[in-house]
Amino acid sequence: MAELNYRSLLETNSYLRNLSDTTYWLCITRTVQESKLFPMNPYMLLSYLNSFYRLPTLLREIDAATPAEELGDRAREVSLKVDTVNAAWGMPAFYLIGREMLMNWGLLRPGDAVEDVVDVLDFSRRFNLAYHRNDGHITNKEFGDRSQFLPERTLQVFEADLHGVKPGDRLHAAATKLVAQLSQYAFLAHCECRIGLHNSGPYNFGENRQLVVRDFFELTEGDYPWLDGIATRLPFANLTIPIVFSDTNFHLMDDWASFEAEPSYDAANIAAVGLYTSDALSDGYIPVGMDNAETLAETMEQYREILNEATADLWKRIATWTREQMIDAGALVYSSVGKDFAHLAGTYRQEDWLSLDDRVQRFKPLMNDEYGRDNLGEMVGLLGFPHQKTNEYGMARYSGLNQNMLTGIPYSVLTDDDFAPTVGDRLSGSSSLPAKNGLWTTTAGRIDLDEYNQRAKGFTPAVLRGANRYRDEEWVKWHHGSPAADELYRLAQRGSRNLEGRGSSLRRADLPANGASDADR
Amino acid sequence: MSDSTVSTPKWGSTEMLPLPGRFNGAVRELAAKRFAATGARWKDVVFERQFDLFSLADARAVEQEALDSGYRFDFSATVSLESEPDKYKRPDREATSFAAGSSADGRKQVGVGDNVIRKSATVTGPVALISKIEQVMGYLADGIPEGTIAVIDDSGGTLTAPIIEGFAGVICLGGTVRSHLGILAREYDVPTLMNCKIDTLSDGDVVEIEVTAAPPAADAYETGDTGHARIWLIGNEG
Repeated sequence: MAELNYRSLLETNSYLRNLSDTTYWLCITRTVQESKLFPMNPYMLLSYLNSFYRLPTLLREIDAATPAEELGDRAREVSLKVDTVNAAWGMPAFYLIGREMLMNWGLLRPGDAVEDVVDVLDFSRRFNLAYHRNDGHITNKEFGDRSQFLPERTLQVFEADLHGVKPGDRLHAAATKLVAQLSQYAFLAHCECRIGLHNSGPYNFGENRQLVVRDFFELTEGDYPWLDGIATRLPFANLTIPIVFSDTNFHLMDDWASFEAEPSYDAANIAAVGLYTSDALSDGYIPVGMDNAETLAETMEQYREILNEATADLWKRIATWTREQMIDAGALVYSSVGKDFAHLAGTYRQEDWLSLDDRVQRFKPLMNDEYGRDNLGEMVGLLGFPHQKTNEYGMARYSGLNQNMLTGIPYSVLTDDDFAPTVGDRLSGSSSLPAKNGLWTTTAGRIDLDEYNQRAKGFTPAVLRGANRYRDEEWVKWHHGSPAADELYRLAQRGSRNLEGRGSSLRRADLPANGASDADR
Repeated sequence: MSDSTVSTPKWGSTEMLPLPGRFNGAVRELAAKRFAATGARWKDVVFERQFDLFSLADARAVEQEALDSGYRFDFSATVSLESEPDKYKRPDREATSFAAGSSADGRKQVGVGDNVIRKSATVTGPVALISKIEQVMGYLADGIPEGTIAVIDDSGGTLTAPIIEGFAGVICLGGTVRSHLGILAREYDVPTLMNCKIDTLSDGDVVEIEVTAAPPAADAYETGDTGHARIWLIGNEG
């Protein structure tokens, strides 16, 4: 629970202002997002409000079960949906944007919900500090639009085990087509928003090569009711495809987990690929079809075919939805970007994350397409809300204008008393979508929610148990080759085709038959 | 109860766009009036009596007031227009955003855009204007004629999700190279121009798109240095 004092408010406002600047930069480098299928802007506005009313209560429960910094440790070890775009940026940004909307309507003042704001941003900051522990920055923007959270022990396994490819190879074609299909499907399953996709890196793979880790989340039955019965032949909900590129410099990996490269992304430059899965119940990355290049190509082709069929199935299902159903689905996708924290903590309840709060439902009649588009543009692009202006001497980062997207907490809350410190913890809501009836797809199989929560509550990955949690790369620098370091590295090497049991002393030159540079191995 | 907080923030003016100004102004005015009527302190009203400040019925009234005045909203999703046709303006397909340019070699420049993937040769083909779910259903059932260049006014990718890889090229009338459709074009290696401004095009018009142009620089959308890939009208297959 928030401790309100001058120091906590200074820290909160600093975090808020950085997020405000970064979010403005992210927004102005895109136009306002629109879709012919989904009323995106209306659902986005409603999602921000849903976040504002619900997130503080849900995060407090999660934080009590599993502290935010421990969740950051989990997200640093494998690919989880609480990632750069969802958890590190989106969750606090959506919450604060909802606050801006209410403030602009005169339904909230900047001192209101101060305990909630401090708690949400404190959670977010602690998560980010742990998530970015290996690079020491709190956002990709602060690190120069770069994302390097994985440790050497994991990257070495990738480098040793990835299969080399050349354009024209069966595996090159299979990987390229699967990534395209996954991207398409992930956008559709997430109602047109990008939060089912994630990219991180680049990592230096030597010889003018860089590794980018590409993740795709929630591909079959799980939290979203509309995925019941969709892509059920896919054995995993999440897939990670590490890709090594030759002669390509990924000069931007932003806080929306989008990349830019010079020369631009070209499948012809893909030099090596792999396939893994991970989730809240997996003890590290699990290789998928990685035995040899032929098996991997076959696996990728099979998954591509499943997802191609699933895309058509899901598209036809969505095409029958009413406008309200499309809006509810999109709003819930956006406002639930932090839901996998609850899966990690074992506190997940469907009604917590997949209901639109009663306090939000009252605004629905305002949300026609034009208002959605223009109010969003006004708020995050033009920064034209009256209260977003600062004094006339101000020159904000990026815009140079006297305006900020997000409003700080006035320090006067430490002496004044006419504000309400929290929105409260009574959650009541609904959804126009069909109820969820399916199971949850995990690396422990297709299980029901009770079993999922039960398993999550008792689970800590081996690399984070006991002293391992604090054995970072500064420690490895001075203890490589020791029994404790070897044991730590062997945990990441479990299931590795080429590094199983090799321990902690390997350097790049020692890696057996470097897969990323040898297509035939 | 005294309240020293002023309702108009210092340095602020009003929203720049008309509908946000209208709706938000109405909500602000109503909320201020309702709060004043409570006679209570703000902290006892803001959450405890929030439905007294603004309710579902109030939101309906704000919308109705706009509709009663004759205002009709722009739509973006087809489902909005189809489910509530009385609330939305009809689409205006004839609007052009590019003044046709020079003619040479029997071709006329009819548009510009931002190239997503630099290719070694331009792409030429007949255009199909796609904006409805029914059209996508039709292509799903019957297939896409070879060489078709889709004209899509949707920078997202979901409307054309099941069929995108079947196009020889895409002209997108919105978004940027970083938009969802731009991302998907890159993944599927479909020659695509984003953020296009075009003269009027009709189904069957044969166009050439300059996908040999350099993609926009990293800061192009901040500096405005965009629109370097050209679109030429070659003829009409119809």
